Amino acid sequence: MSTLTEERFLEIVRDELDLPLLETELENDFDQVVSWDSLYLLRLVAAVEQETGTRVPVGRLFSKRSLRDIYTTIAGATAAV
Amino acid sequence: MTTVIDSPVSAAAGEPAQPKENPDPLGRLQSLARAKTLAAEYAEVAPLLAELTRSESAASDLVRAGRVLSKLSPAAVLEHNPAQAVIKVAVAGHSTVAALVPPLTAELARHGLLLDITLGDFDGYLRELQDTGSQLYASGLDLALVVLDPQAIFDELPEVWRIEELQEATTAKLAQLSRLAEKFVSNQPTATLVLNTVPLQRAHTHQLVDLRSRAALGIAWREFNAGLLRLSAEHQRVAVIDFDPLIAAGGPVGDARMACYAKAHLGDELLGRYAREVAHLTRTIKGLTKKVLVLDLDNTLWDGILGDDGADGIEMATTYRGEAFGNFQRVAKQIGSQGVLLAVSSKNDQEPVEEVLRTHPDMVLRDTDFVRINANWNPKDANLRDIAARLNLGIDSFVFADDSPFETGLIAASIPQVAVVRLDEEPALHIGKLLADGWFDVLELTAEDRERAALYRTDAARQDLLDSSDDFEEYLANLGVTLTVAPVSESEVARVSQLSLRSNQCNLTTLRMQPDTVRELSQSPDHLVLYLRSADKFGDNGLVGALFCSKSADGLTIDNYIMSCRVLSRGIEQAAIGALLAHAKAAGLGPVHASYRPTKKNHRVRDFWPSFGFERSGGTDEAPDYRHDLATPPEIPGHLRLRASFER
Repeated sequence: MSTLTEERFLEIVRDELDLPLLETELENDFDQVVSWDSLYLLRLVAAVEQETGTRVPVGRLFSKRSLRDIYTTIAGATAAV
Repeated sequence: MTTVIDSPVSAAAGEPAQPKENPDPLGRLQSLARAKTLAAEYAEVAPLLAELTRSESAASDLVRAGRVLSKLSPAAVLEHNPAQAVIKVAVAGHSTVAALVPPLTAELARHGLLLDITLGDFDGYLRELQDTGSQLYASGLDLALVVLDPQAIFDELPEVWRIEELQEATTAKLAQLSRLAEKFVSNQPTATLVLNTVPLQRAHTHQLVDLRSRAALGIAWREFNAGLLRLSAEHQRVAVIDFDPLIAAGGPVGDARMACYAKAHLGDELLGRYAREVAHLTRTIKGLTKKVLVLDLDNTLWDGILGDDGADGIEMATTYRGEAFGNFQRVAKQIGSQGVLLAVSSKNDQEPVEEVLRTHPDMVLRDTDFVRINANWNPKDANLRDIAARLNLGIDSFVFADDSPFETGLIAASIPQVAVVRLDEEPALHIGKLLADGWFDVLELTAEDRERAALYRTDAARQDLLDSSDDFEEYLANLGVTLTVAPVSESEVARVSQLSLRSNQCNLTTLRMQPDTVRELSQSPDHLVLYLRSADKFGDNGLVGALFCSKSADGLTIDNYIMSCRVLSRGIEQAAIGALLAHAKAAGLGPVHASYRPTKKNHRVRDFWPSFGFERSGGTDEAPDYRHDLATPPEIPGHLRLRASFER
């Protein structure tokens, strides 16, 4: 089980979701991210789980408002294993 | 059987240079998208996806490709490729259906079809089926997908439920869907409604702790699904995709977390398989069904190499591997019994191959199961073209199965219209690979389908008669053609519809018609729908053509003439048009109007109408309209016996 670095997380966001985000944009509220919807979250979860081999707490992610919040939650969960 | 004799080249002497296939089709697609040239280069997409489909990670790669492709607007693709075929699809569902877009985009693009999709609201399927103003009732729509999942039933149950309540819910849901399907068919004139059977999951069955109720749930559930499947028998334009075999292929129905949090009850893997079925259903409805299966022999139909191992050394029974090949032969024979023409393309000498097909005791497939046996040392792309020319069928109606990566790669690269089934060294997997795509799916089989192979085989006897005749007139005189022209009744509806969907080359205006349209027109007092049935001394040709006419104050309009190319140039078309025109004259139906509308395939009948004395009356040079004043209808050719009737 590997912990997920921020760089790798950003790569997954770019490759899997095809969202060309800058590092600074991790902080943006989803209202500012073009066409963000729950499908993106599902794909992100699937890709992160494949990458880390660890289960992501999906239920906690839906209430998050930015990719930074999502990353923090995921990184916390994967590090705890 | 004709043997093609060319200077034999040993296979070991080095294969000819092969056109390159793309090693990274997904990467190529992504780079075209990044360079913003994907819409312009859309013709590249189908071959790239064909390449991508053979990879180990095909399922997920197709979804990725679909995401890239679904970002293109259909309008942008059409701007660069005006002739591109578009499929209009509307989706409604009980749960989230957006995840269907990428796999459906990719699966249709594999077939060169561009998806134009409209999604309904979350949990909107009942309202949208009810509301004739919804996306499901859009004009010109091809498919209305209503995606059902288990929650469509379970959401209707009270907080705490007993088996009786579930039984009531399934019965009520089936009745509701039956009513809605009926409403759909009578209010939506073009599209096919696509439903699906609903998976039963352990998380549902095991909420009941008593085994008796659990069994009753299983029964009620299957009766619900069986009732859904029956809807497709009741309505021509309702199709039901059976999820059981899709789920049996393995993998979860969905992810409980995605179902709970995102209301995505059907997982990506299952939706991907569903999308593949939908794409083949589209092919079926659009008349793009494949007609010919060309098979390799060595290590495809039998274990071993005939040229090296000899007839006694090849296996198709008794050994472990031999049995796997025998099983594959049985499936090919099964497919061949349903109207798909089987042919052989093999790098072998013709005589030993024919000998094995005739006499090898373990063979399941026999020489009589094939309409062409091309065993020679020419490249296989040339052989496929030769088979297509001899059968008078478009090469885009071919499927080619071979275990050699060289041969499958050659065909994929040089004739991309051919669907390629890439077999490998594991014969037990041959069947699954052949059936992975529904290349040969049809709505229903007709009597002609079951006889088709025999019909094509007697053509060889006709060819011999032609070869032995001094000239074409003598051939026709000896052929003894009889032709029946008569109004279509119920027993011809299925075949006439099939002909309108399958015929490409001898189809004057290419109006495709589903069976219910044919039935409606055949019963209308303002229309005349005629079928052509022919026979000759070698046997029955079956129902070989149809004429669609409409009557008005201006005269009689031939909306379309279609014919099987197999019987072209035997005077049949002249006799049929002559008889119709004589009838129009005698019955005072007025002048006869007709048109030609070009497609990629029907150029050989461009001058059909002028050849029978029709004069140009309008339209454009590309899409001309004609008129016949009936002063002198075309003569009925003397070599042919005609029976024509026009009254129902």
